[in-house]
Amino acid sequence: MAQNQRPTTFLDSFGEEIIRILTPVSICMFLVVLLVSILNSNSSASVTSIATIAYSETSSDSSWDKFLGALLNSLAFVAVVTVATFILVLLFYLRCTKFLKIYMGFSSFVVLGFMGGEIALFFIEEFSVPIDCISYLVVLFNFAVVGVLAVFMSKMAILVTQGYLVLIGMFVAYWFTLLPEWTTWVLLVVMALYDLAAVLLPVGPLRLLVELAMSRDEDIPALVYEARPVTHHDSGSGENTVRRRVWRERRNVRHDSEDNSNLDGNVVSDSNSTVVAVQHCHNGSIIARVEEGQVSEGNAELSAPLIDHRMNGQDGMSTESLVLEGMGLGSSGAIKLGLGDFIFYSVLVGRAAMYDFMTVYACYLAIVAGLGITLMLLAFYQKALPALPVSIALGVLFYFLTRFLLEVFIVQCSLNLVMF
Amino acid sequence: MEASQALTNPTPNPNPNPNPNPNNNYASNRNSILSSTPVWPTIDGPLGLSEDESLSYARRFYKFGYALLPWLWAVNCFYFWPVLRHSRSFPSLRPYVVGSAVGFTVFSAILCSWALTFAIGGEHLFGSIWDQLVMYNVADRLGLTGWS
Repeated sequence: MAQNQRPTTFLDSFGEEIIRILTPVSICMFLVVLLVSILNSNSSASVTSIATIAYSETSSDSSWDKFLGALLNSLAFVAVVTVATFILVLLFYLRCTKFLKIYMGFSSFVVLGFMGGEIALFFIEEFSVPIDCISYLVVLFNFAVVGVLAVFMSKMAILVTQGYLVLIGMFVAYWFTLLPEWTTWVLLVVMALYDLAAVLLPVGPLRLLVELAMSRDEDIPALVYEARPVTHHDSGSGENTVRRRVWRERRNVRHDSEDNSNLDGNVVSDSNSTVVAVQHCHNGSIIARVEEGQVSEGNAELSAPLIDHRMNGQDGMSTESLVLEGMGLGSSGAIKLGLGDFIFYSVLVGRAAMYDFMTVYACYLAIVAGLGITLMLLAFYQKALPALPVSIALGVLFYFLTRFLLEVFIVQCSLNLVMF
Repeated sequence: MEASQALTNPTPNPNPNPNPNPNNNYASNRNSILSSTPVWPTIDGPLGLSEDESLSYARRFYKFGYALLPWLWAVNCFYFWPVLRHSRSFPSLRPYVVGSAVGFTVFSAILCSWALTFAIGGEHLFGSIWDQLVMYNVADRLGLTGWS
């Protein structure tokens, strides 16, 4: 059967790959904006956490005090995140994969069960939905358990796994938007700088993690969203074996003993923000925790805010495995985006939504542009890159420009019936 | 041919042909496009599981669903949708997937009827129990949304 033999460049599939990573990011941001605009209209809830440990904002402080306080908060938070990331690297180095996986399952369960339950309760109270506690508990239990399975097991339906990852990102992002305003903005900037340092500096924890994972040919133990690989239709392989692109499986033809144990549970293990917190905090139930109003935050790092492009059929693969796979495509890896990126993008857009929808549109466009730039750099440099800095920088810049300059202009134009 | 089928055809239904040839041994005839039965039992097609691996998954999902997890049954049916759709394929997987579908329908029927009775019946059907069972009162009593 004649097939098209024109050589593929990365540009051919680039558009599709971008769309496949932009869609879940956009969905997550949209859902967070929706949640923020529905649920936050009445109360100004503030939550005590590690991110507000140094200073809690009151509206009567001067701007400089607020800024200093926010800076202290963010530095404290980033310090906690750095320590936790180093612990994660250490555990990964010591091959405690099972512990990391269990930890990740536990954190997903807490996020989906408790935070999802809280948000559902907000909805129920807002709209006075007459649901009884039995059905509520059954539905919540189902939702959380299947979510844990989807994140835990590497071979669940792709759509289900991706959906649950987006939901986890959404819940954590919504929770972050409950922080005070100055703290949120300074935290975003500081996290972007931390991401830059952690991934690019040779001593950065995320870079160590990526290098460890690549040298062992394993997956990084973190909550990572992986887009479907783009299939090329012109791979002129004449083999008769059914070719199969294995989803998320390491093609370990060598089959070392460790690889065997890792073969099933490669993906995902680790935590994200609030959950590490729950583990560290006191043993009381979630109810007691809420009543005390104490929610300590944890490590967004473990949702690894980095973006990675795995090349199938490269990186130390033997020719035997290449023949088995029959691919020889080379340029159709799957793009992976850490869940921390989802979370922080959505936090930025959610915070923008708390001001006005104009800032939401501006920030959304800025973030998408930043993500596109990052993806192009990824295709160019072919190594793990931090996904936060460019997008957050553009997003924050656009937010402040829109809020202080554009809004005045647009409002005046509208009032005088000049435009819009 | 079959390679392109596996690659370009994300849905597992191959080209329809005039004489459907139910394929009994997939191990040897996996590449035959003369059969109208799909090659991949999962909805992910070539990215998903092969038939041998999926037996243990289908069985495990089915058994775990009995722990009050109808949603797991629904995910099982969704995941192995080709098994449900082509009624003569994958005979080893079929009982579990069909069992999951039946279980999900029955459980959700029961749950929906209970929830609707509760919501529509309201106080004059249940009396004072209604106030004790309804979720927003329970949340208030236990202080579950304490920070709002």
